[in-house]
Amino acid sequence: MFRSRSWFGASWGRPKNPHSLERLKYLHNILSKNTTVSESNRGTLVESLRCIAEILIWGDQNDSSVFDFFLEKNMLSYFLKIMRQKCGGSSYVCVQLLQTLNILFENIRNETSLYYLLSNNHVNSIIVHKFDVSDEEVMAYYISFLKTLSLKLNNHTIHFFYNEHTKDFPLYTEAIKFFNHPESMVRIAVRTLTLNVYRVQDASMLRFIRDRTAAPYFSNLVWFIGKHILELDACVRNDADHQSQQKLDDLVAEHLDHLHYINDILCLNIPDLNDVLTEHLLHKLLIPLYIYSLTSESARRPVTSSPYNRDHIQSIEVITRNLEAILKGKSSDTPPRLTYPIQRMESEEETKPSVSCVVALFLLSQVFLIITHGPIVHALAWILLQSDLSVFEDGATRILEMYLSKAKTNIKLEFSKPQLSLEKALETSGQERDYTTPEYTEPKAFGYDLDKDTDLFSCDLDPELVSTSLPSTSHISETSSIAHDSTEDLVTQIHLVKPTALTAVAQNMPDSPLPDSGIDSSSSKTLSELNNITDEEKQKLLSTMPSTSAEKTMTIESILEKENREIVKRPFLKTILDSLDCSENDYKALFALCLLFALINNKGVNTELLDTLLCPEVDDTTSKVTNSDSANTSNQDEVSGDGSSQSEGTPVRSGKQPMQSFNSLLINKLMIIANLSCKPASKVRLVTCELSVRLVRVAVRGASGAAAARHVAAADALRARAAALARNFYKCDDIFLDMFEDEYCEMSKRPLNVEWLCMDAAILLPPTRTPMSGIAFAKRLPSGEMERARRAIRTFFLIRDLYLKLTGKPETQLPLANPSPFVQVGEVLDLNDSDLISCDITQKDGTWHHRFLAVDNIQIILVEPDKQKMGWGVAKLVGSLQDLEIQGDKDDPRCLQLTIHKPRVGSSGALARTVLLRAKFKFDDHIRSMAAKQRLTKGRTKARQKKMQQIGRLLEVSGISAPSMAQRHRPLFTRPGLTAIRRSSGADGDETERRLRRPSGHVLKDGIVVYRERTTSRESSVSRSSSTHGSREGSPRARSEEIPLEDIRRNMAIATTPVTVTQSQPSTSTQVPKVVSKSSEETSFISGEAPRHKRKGIVETI
Amino acid sequence: MAYAYLFKYIIIGDTGVGKSCLLLQFTDKRFQPVHDLTIGVEFGARMITIDGKQIKLQIWDTAGQEAFRSITRSYYRGAAGALLVYDITRRDTFNHLTTWLEDARQHSNSNMVIMLIGNKSDLESRREVKKEEGEAFAREHGLVFMETSAKTAANVEEAFINTAKEIYEKIQEGVFDINNEANGIKIGPQHSTGGGASGAGGAGAGGAAGGGCC
Repeated sequence: MFRSRSWFGASWGRPKNPHSLERLKYLHNILSKNTTVSESNRGTLVESLRCIAEILIWGDQNDSSVFDFFLEKNMLSYFLKIMRQKCGGSSYVCVQLLQTLNILFENIRNETSLYYLLSNNHVNSIIVHKFDVSDEEVMAYYISFLKTLSLKLNNHTIHFFYNEHTKDFPLYTEAIKFFNHPESMVRIAVRTLTLNVYRVQDASMLRFIRDRTAAPYFSNLVWFIGKHILELDACVRNDADHQSQQKLDDLVAEHLDHLHYINDILCLNIPDLNDVLTEHLLHKLLIPLYIYSLTSESARRPVTSSPYNRDHIQSIEVITRNLEAILKGKSSDTPPRLTYPIQRMESEEETKPSVSCVVALFLLSQVFLIITHGPIVHALAWILLQSDLSVFEDGATRILEMYLSKAKTNIKLEFSKPQLSLEKALETSGQERDYTTPEYTEPKAFGYDLDKDTDLFSCDLDPELVSTSLPSTSHISETSSIAHDSTEDLVTQIHLVKPTALTAVAQNMPDSPLPDSGIDSSSSKTLSELNNITDEEKQKLLSTMPSTSAEKTMTIESILEKENREIVKRPFLKTILDSLDCSENDYKALFALCLLFALINNKGVNTELLDTLLCPEVDDTTSKVTNSDSANTSNQDEVSGDGSSQSEGTPVRSGKQPMQSFNSLLINKLMIIANLSCKPASKVRLVTCELSVRLVRVAVRGASGAAAARHVAAADALRARAAALARNFYKCDDIFLDMFEDEYCEMSKRPLNVEWLCMDAAILLPPTRTPMSGIAFAKRLPSGEMERARRAIRTFFLIRDLYLKLTGKPETQLPLANPSPFVQVGEVLDLNDSDLISCDITQKDGTWHHRFLAVDNIQIILVEPDKQKMGWGVAKLVGSLQDLEIQGDKDDPRCLQLTIHKPRVGSSGALARTVLLRAKFKFDDHIRSMAAKQRLTKGRTKARQKKMQQIGRLLEVSGISAPSMAQRHRPLFTRPGLTAIRRSSGADGDETERRLRRPSGHVLKDGIVVYRERTTSRESSVSRSSSTHGSREGSPRARSEEIPLEDIRRNMAIATTPVTVTQSQPSTSTQVPKVVSKSSEETSFISGEAPRHKRKGIVETI
Repeated sequence: MAYAYLFKYIIIGDTGVGKSCLLLQFTDKRFQPVHDLTIGVEFGARMITIDGKQIKLQIWDTAGQEAFRSITRSYYRGAAGALLVYDITRRDTFNHLTTWLEDARQHSNSNMVIMLIGNKSDLESRREVKKEEGEAFAREHGLVFMETSAKTAANVEEAFINTAKEIYEKIQEGVFDINNEANGIKIGPQHSTGGGASGAGGAGAGGAAGGGCC
């Protein structure tokens, strides 16, 4: 195979067969002769190493003697010798060496061979060898080598890498030094390796990981995540103009990577590791940086202080230095402690790094979307939902310490850097080889003493820092538990701290470190101060919640008032709910919605906790429902407020002392968002609307699972508003129908995926309008009339869906149905007495067919005569008339150019249009051509009219058929100024006007709608529009220009009917449109279909 | 190690479609396919020349890491090119392409060049997926398509190099932000010493540059 090379020397004794024991012996000979690497033998060595890999794999699969020889001659030791030489070209040789090893370990199948390879500890020597990792190539091969080895780990092989006696695990400890390597692929490899190690589940090895490496590794990991987030925050702060979107994308994706990595670790379900990781995450990152940032900005930090305080900048320097040390593969000579001059800022506020509220909400959403580990998410959820005002008394900065001092007093709650570099920490732990952890064997006794902590765990154990920031330092020595054993211990600790008050809590909810929150429901505050809702909002609320009796309204009002009063005591929940305010824009609201959505849907969050948001307060009417579920939920606050009285967490309790729920407040806020999105110039993006609508559905379900009547009524009112909004754009042109169907298709095809939404960094920047930002339509505001129409249509779909879901009604009208099913291709049809036009079809590629053209209500069918039955035909192609494109041929009057689209049927109605055929149709003569054209055009128009009528029914448009709506017509492309004026003048008023006008076609008698014939207008409208279409086929815009003329005529006719336009009051008028809508449905159905129905007279009873 | 650009690739596809063999075949073609010996590797690098510029390709195989979501998603993001591989003798590997592609599209940066590879083209007798099907899939999803054989080395060079060419073109068009290393593209160190440096670069690429042994 290989031509002899000069550097092989003379090819003496070189066996011809490259795959043989002899060949390996020969290569061994070369290695033993070239123990020193030099310029001259470099190539020889590399080639030999490469060949060795090949032969060994061949031997592994074919000839065991090859491997025996390799082991017998201890050839791995040659590898080591070569590696250890510092000579000019060693990186070249090293790379090949590593690649040989990679190939070896990757391809070896025989387990015994693998064990032999690993048994003599050479591999560990190679692992700890200080490669020149500054060389990108060496680094890549080295990390791949480590990763490849980690993929070979299992319960047997682990012992070759982890030495139980010497407490040594170089594969792992060497790899994690690179966890923050600048090269992403290296970082990924490290993560893979750690996960591969953890999942081996060897008890002794995991103990080592926990005791010696977990704290330093996780504290560093957490610190870098936090650092990263500050960078992200700075990026958002400094980029209001969407300039650094690319960078933001990366930062967001990076954060997601971190969270997914943490989740992957947590999902391996290793209790010891999870406890350490959970603690670091909660106390060093999630609470101090994420949740803390939710407190109001003014309370937190003086306006003047920069997001990068001194503390932060300094730590970045340290990090860089540590990183350098790691990269050089050396331990830093200076004790890291010296590099951290202990500084106390005058004001604690200044030392706290924090991020903006928007970023905090966004990041927390991601946390709740990704991580499901109970102890983490539950603790977070508890803090968000339940922590109360009392902890604020000592100033904003104290809140977390207060929480902490109750949960555990030992760890300072702060986003702070680890004080030892990872490398140093690992080294320290390595030196104390005989250090034992008795607490592991006795799970009940936890905690290290302070000295050992300092050595082992690098985080924030500086006594001065601790003593000044924590109320009770003495606890540190007693209960330091950075590596406590299980959640059980956590509970025990809580017992120690506050044994009497918290026992019950701990028993009730063993997986959360609950402090007592002590909501004092009896405390009275002044109403004016607490009532947060504006008058405007109140009004809106009233209008969206029409109620049958004034008494009921009072109840809702009072509940809301109470909740508004109570919310002030929950600072974090208040921040979240306050963020839902969309009156200026929906920037913050979207994130608050995401967070609520993620919180509610997180499997790790206790459902009882969620009842704070999801269950309405137990009042007289609902307290009858005393199933175990709702009873269970009713005592959340009671437990925390008055914990000592709670016994054993018995679930069956009557709702005598109702829990504080914020359900009504939440629903109210969500409804306001939905309501705002039904306004013409709304600042609510579609995505916000969709998410709030989805949350409404969850929130109104309550304990019973069914929405209360007042919510259904509110949803109905909303639906009417949304229909009114969409009606503004309802007009007789092709674009509206296409837009309507496309939007529906788009919406059903891509329902909102919140997880994906939260991956999109684009939403982190303030909402924009321009499509040139590249942001998807739903995630920005509409630009121009066309997009406003799309938005209105989509909003209507969303809110209609909400209404239907709340009432439990099935969707029967969407997607727009075809009156009859389409013929299937291949179906044999009875065409006797049908109008058939013979034609020749020529496609672009030259294919030619002879077919007969048949036109029906909704479809165009091309048939071929059936050979068996006279007068019957086989359908060869079926297309929808609605989407047909017809064009005459300038050169040949006998020809038509047709583009036929696939019919949209059923579920495929949600798919984009696909072209079936685009061809030239040649008819016998120009008369037949014209006839065909006329028939097709007419059919197309009629098919579209039917669809428009369906839309009209959906939108509760007055009148019967589409053309009668021409009065509302407005060309799609008008100058913005013009449309703005029109819109403002005709949003709500016109709608009422139309409603009032509608009964002119019908007589309303005691709830019975009688249809009155309106043949003339219908006839004229149909013929008129078809003639218009006939003359200007295939150019919708041209046609739309023509219609306004009709408008004028029509408007004049209408003007003669006296109409009083009153202020729109949806709450009172909701009954009327309902009735009318049904009547209009029926009438339009009849008018479009068959006249014989008219005889029936009574169409619908209400 | 002088190179103008470094492109990072990933190889994705079902297990057993020959990803690591393709990788080894490309980065070190001296491994000759004899005796039904299948050898693969998870990482490799090689220098190629496009438009007179030295370009280094780093190829990372993602095999064996599918169990962890965090790993797969980060891999996609760090790459400038991806080879999506299926086995022409196994229909199921072709059927899974959509899932792979969705994953890739979701996690990768939008400019990532994806090449569809139907591997094991040497096993014509056991073919289950027609070449036309591969072509159609590629056309439908806007991918470049090629059938290769890691065994006979057919088209392997072309697959990697064509992908590199496409990335290179995108750089020329200014589509890729080359200063952002998260895109899987790195600008090489400046060519300080002309001939000497490039010689070392060739040697450094896993011996691949000097590997033309026949």
